[in-house]
Amino acid sequence: MRFSTLLYKELRECLPWMLLAAIVLLTLGSFFLREQIHYRNPSWYYSRLSPGTIVESHLFTYSSILGVTGPLLLLSSIGLGLVLGIRHFWIPNFTRTWPFLLHRSVRRKTILTAKLVATTIAFVLCLGPVWIGLYWYACRSTIFPPQTLKNFIEGWIFIILGLVTYLGTALSGLSSAKWYTTKIFGLVFAAVVIFMTFPQCSLFRISAVIAASAAILLSQIFQIFGRREF
Amino acid sequence: MKIKNKLLYISTPAKVFMTTLIILILLSIIQGISIGIEKTSIHLKKRSFQTKSEKKLTQEEKRIDRIRSSAKEFIPDGTIHLICRLEHLSDGIDLEQIYDANDNLLWEGPSDKRPYEYLSWAKHLRRYREGFTKSQMKDTQMITTDFSRNVRIPVQSDNKTEQIWRYLPGKQYFKGYNASGEKIGYVGSNGFTDLKSKVKPFGEFGLFTAWCPQDASSPTLLWQTQRRIYQINFEKQEVETIFKSTDADIEFERTSLHAWRDLKPGEKEYVDPNKYRPLIHYQTGDGKLHLILREPKQQFSLSVPRASVTATKQDIYARSVGSDSFPPEDIIKSQGLYNKWLKEHSGKPRNLWTELYKVDNQGNLELINRYDWIVPPTSSYVTNARDARPIVHRSVSQFSPPLYDLIMRLLGRKFLRSIFAYENRGDFFYGLAQMILEIRPYKGVINRVLSAFMMVFVFWHGWPRRTSWARFVFWLVFAGLFNIAGLLTYLALNHTAVIKCPVCSKRRGLAQLDCVRCKAQLPYPERGKLDLIFSV
Repeated sequence: MRFSTLLYKELRECLPWMLLAAIVLLTLGSFFLREQIHYRNPSWYYSRLSPGTIVESHLFTYSSILGVTGPLLLLSSIGLGLVLGIRHFWIPNFTRTWPFLLHRSVRRKTILTAKLVATTIAFVLCLGPVWIGLYWYACRSTIFPPQTLKNFIEGWIFIILGLVTYLGTALSGLSSAKWYTTKIFGLVFAAVVIFMTFPQCSLFRISAVIAASAAILLSQIFQIFGRREF
Repeated sequence: MKIKNKLLYISTPAKVFMTTLIILILLSIIQGISIGIEKTSIHLKKRSFQTKSEKKLTQEEKRIDRIRSSAKEFIPDGTIHLICRLEHLSDGIDLEQIYDANDNLLWEGPSDKRPYEYLSWAKHLRRYREGFTKSQMKDTQMITTDFSRNVRIPVQSDNKTEQIWRYLPGKQYFKGYNASGEKIGYVGSNGFTDLKSKVKPFGEFGLFTAWCPQDASSPTLLWQTQRRIYQINFEKQEVETIFKSTDADIEFERTSLHAWRDLKPGEKEYVDPNKYRPLIHYQTGDGKLHLILREPKQQFSLSVPRASVTATKQDIYARSVGSDSFPPEDIIKSQGLYNKWLKEHSGKPRNLWTELYKVDNQGNLELINRYDWIVPPTSSYVTNARDARPIVHRSVSQFSPPLYDLIMRLLGRKFLRSIFAYENRGDFFYGLAQMILEIRPYKGVINRVLSAFMMVFVFWHGWPRRTSWARFVFWLVFAGLFNIAGLLTYLALNHTAVIKCPVCSKRRGLAQLDCVRCKAQLPYPERGKLDLIFSV
């Protein structure tokens, strides 16, 4: 009961940002996708092929129409992670409201778990359905061949990168060090993980990197949150 | 309580790892910037030096330089001409001079009005334009912000795309779709099939090149794998096995074509099919050059290193370039022998030659002509120093962790060679290894002294603050292995305030209750009148 109350409270705090991220992704994503579907059909694209000529290799590797939604999905995800991380772990420092939350007869671990579960739900509920919708829209279009499952999974990786950003922001918010020393390291580490994700082609390797980095951040967050004096 | 303690076992190493990684990245960024600045300045200096030295050349030096830079071309009777390009006139046309082997000027004028017709040779596929390489295939699979891509081959009819065949790198075959997006079949090494269970993979991808034949606007592919070469025509649904190597892998970078592609006149790679026979040549790992000819079909192997081949309607020719500046194969294998060979040959003029052979139908060679020329010594120097990098590069590398040397030693020579392999370009982990190789300290004495200094500093700083021996020793070793990054990590995670111990008057940390020297407890504040109220 206590946990569900805390979860409800955290979700309520997340709600405006969840809605904002979902609306931005849905509006801009569907607009860009519609433009791509409208203007980019294979017959137009391959009209550059003419008899008796060498075909330049880049013509065979044009990115899929879903590609236009990639940067938007990534930015929405990272943006949501940053905003929720700041809302959950930085704002109570500025408004000095940590004692109001911590004085309750619940363990600190429960409070932290409620925050993390609320954020995971926020990501899955807000970005997940929009991403599924965009993928479905791209698959239903007249552009062929159909979109690949790999692109769909990559979209989910982008969403998880937002969660890593959230954890990095949380760790920086909880750190009691000076901002110019190790306080910023949580955020820097999240940025390093995002950069490490891109120049790789194995989904397994990327998943391993993300899982390991999430474990590194989570263990520190639980340890600091359990011991720190607020 | 127990869970909290267990968490500490995970969170502490996690914190150390995270901090070290970030500090190492920051350090390598600073090192990279310094090295970049030095490289730019060296490049600028070299350019200004070259411009100055070019102006001071004597007549004889100018002649040698002209011979060196001239293209050496053969006419079908075996005569060699040296073509010196003087200036660029317009698109594809240069003003040139043609000399014979005795350095007599034969002709001068624009290249499109040449009075001689030279043998044209099979050329390597140019990356990115003609050839789609293994590295490019890997690039398409990389996750970018626009997601990964895939290779798609269209089949066109009346300027309309009717089918698209998508290559599946994991499964090593193509899957086709029609314009309605429905699956239409598969293409593998055994040809076209409509059932997934029947398709056989092509094998590990190596290279492909594509062209539209003169009678079609759909591409035909020459698809090269580790051991085989196929020609795939998606429009006619044909897969032809051109070459099969049983003994060794095909070298991807040495694929050459001549008159093989059915191109229209005026295309850059167009070769007149009335004069030349279609030809492909490949080199395999065992050093053999395999020749595949058409009109009529013919296939045999040659044993000429670094050769280029052509086949006119009458004869087959091979041209090779040699130099005494190429070290022999057995010397390359040993670093010591190679260094010795390099030292012996440095600062000496190099002899180069080109040879023209006529090839018979069994692959036997008959030498027709040979031309030799001398190239003056280059300004490059050979040093016996263990670390021959420029001074700033060497200096900033001294701040790198000695652990880099150990890692590189453990990874072995084979891995070090693969770091720079063309197919590994763009990969994050190979990129990281390349960066480490670039800034590794190479067992530098200064690096070891700096590491020792870091250890001394950690000892001095950590002694009054120590809470356990294991922790103290760990940080000492850590600073020794990671150099300045180790020290900074140590300070970031262990710096606590010190006070003067009221008993022994020496410095003591506040992280533990007992003084590390006299074992006295931390001083308590004196009891005041209001303590009763505040202690409730």
